[in-house]
Amino acid sequence: MTELLVGTKKGLMVLRGSSRTFEIAGRAFAGETVEFATRDRRSGRYFAAVTHGQFGPHLFYADDPTKDWKQAEGPAFPPAANAAVERIWVVEPGVGDGVLWCGVAPAALFRSSDGGKSWALVEGLWNVPERSKWEPGAGGLCLHSICPWPGEEKRLAVGISSAGVWLSEDAGRTWRRSVAGLVPRYLPEEARKDTHAYCVHNMHRAPRQPHTLYMQFHGGVYRSDNGGESWNDIGSDRGLPSDFGFPLVIDPHDPDRAYIIPLKADADRVTPDGCVRVYETCDRGNSWVACADGLPRSQAYLTVLRQAFCSDGGKPLGLYFGATSGEVFGSVDGGRTWSTVAERLPPVASVRCGVS
Amino acid sequence: MPRMILSGSVRERVGGLGTIEVEGATVAAAVQSLEAAYPALRGWIVDERGALRRHVKLFVRGEAIALDAPAAPADKIHIVAAISGG
Repeated sequence: MTELLVGTKKGLMVLRGSSRTFEIAGRAFAGETVEFATRDRRSGRYFAAVTHGQFGPHLFYADDPTKDWKQAEGPAFPPAANAAVERIWVVEPGVGDGVLWCGVAPAALFRSSDGGKSWALVEGLWNVPERSKWEPGAGGLCLHSICPWPGEEKRLAVGISSAGVWLSEDAGRTWRRSVAGLVPRYLPEEARKDTHAYCVHNMHRAPRQPHTLYMQFHGGVYRSDNGGESWNDIGSDRGLPSDFGFPLVIDPHDPDRAYIIPLKADADRVTPDGCVRVYETCDRGNSWVACADGLPRSQAYLTVLRQAFCSDGGKPLGLYFGATSGEVFGSVDGGRTWSTVAERLPPVASVRCGVS
Repeated sequence: MPRMILSGSVRERVGGLGTIEVEGATVAAAVQSLEAAYPALRGWIVDERGALRRHVKLFVRGEAIALDAPAAPADKIHIVAAISGG
């Protein structure tokens, strides 16, 4: 049985099934926007980031996503920060026992040491001197990507739109920006040298080879071979219809294999040519090939959001993504063939695999 | 003591209670008193800075009021979700 946690504009949909047949096993937070939902496989605990239209963003946790959810204590800024959480973007299990990380807008990182029940601001990142120069992207000034280093509790990379990549090697106490190699093509050339506006769209680390990271940038796909210290272009002239997009998945068993879902351009955020295609690299981004068997091939202008693509971590790899048009697609063979596993859902904001 | 009048989502958060007596000489103090008695409402009416959420309105005697308005013992303070969304 595979369980998918699908965050939508009108609640969390818990889909359960296998291969091509899924059913809605439960719906939580009816009527509210579930920006992100995930499960910490270490504890089995589920998390849902919910934004109530009137009453703000809140994080909830549960042992069964179809039953009672409890509200976490935070994430919330301390009084000295003089800020309020606008949106909760991501929850990521850490390395230490009971440690989880949470990224929010305005761009900030929170840490939990009790399995996600309570959260504290990571002051080191909040207080970096460059913060006053950070600017938001279209989705707000948000910390959306958190990449722990397997086996090394103190090493962490985060991606911020649009303030670049930040690395810490002391569990978040101090941070340094790491954008060497990234080209902000959306700025005039003469404005690029001193800019702080590096619009990271998504970033993941290869768990089997932690110094390898992949990134979808605001125009550009990149790979780092040195833990995020510098970045290499893997998006230009390598078979992609566009190097703009948001979703990104790495095969957890193979650091050379990654998947993206390109969108046409920043001014037209739909699947290019009316054709839905996932692109796969098996050679660290030196080449990309389309995986489209079973996906809509014509008159399909879908938008797939940043957190709406995931793997199940299995072998062969299961892949799942959802669109703002309410479909969820899945592959149980590493992207070779696809099927529609749900449709007519509210706009999909996130997809994560709870159980596989 | 002033009374807070709850409806919709905030009422659900406190087990369906529609009216709750609170202490406080101002509306802000009344909201703090409500949050202290019902922690499930923390962060729902005001954010962590203590600012009223943008799409929440408070009414007393039919008039929208600010957090720093006085709260009289006989006041009924209605917490209303603004008409918004999609």
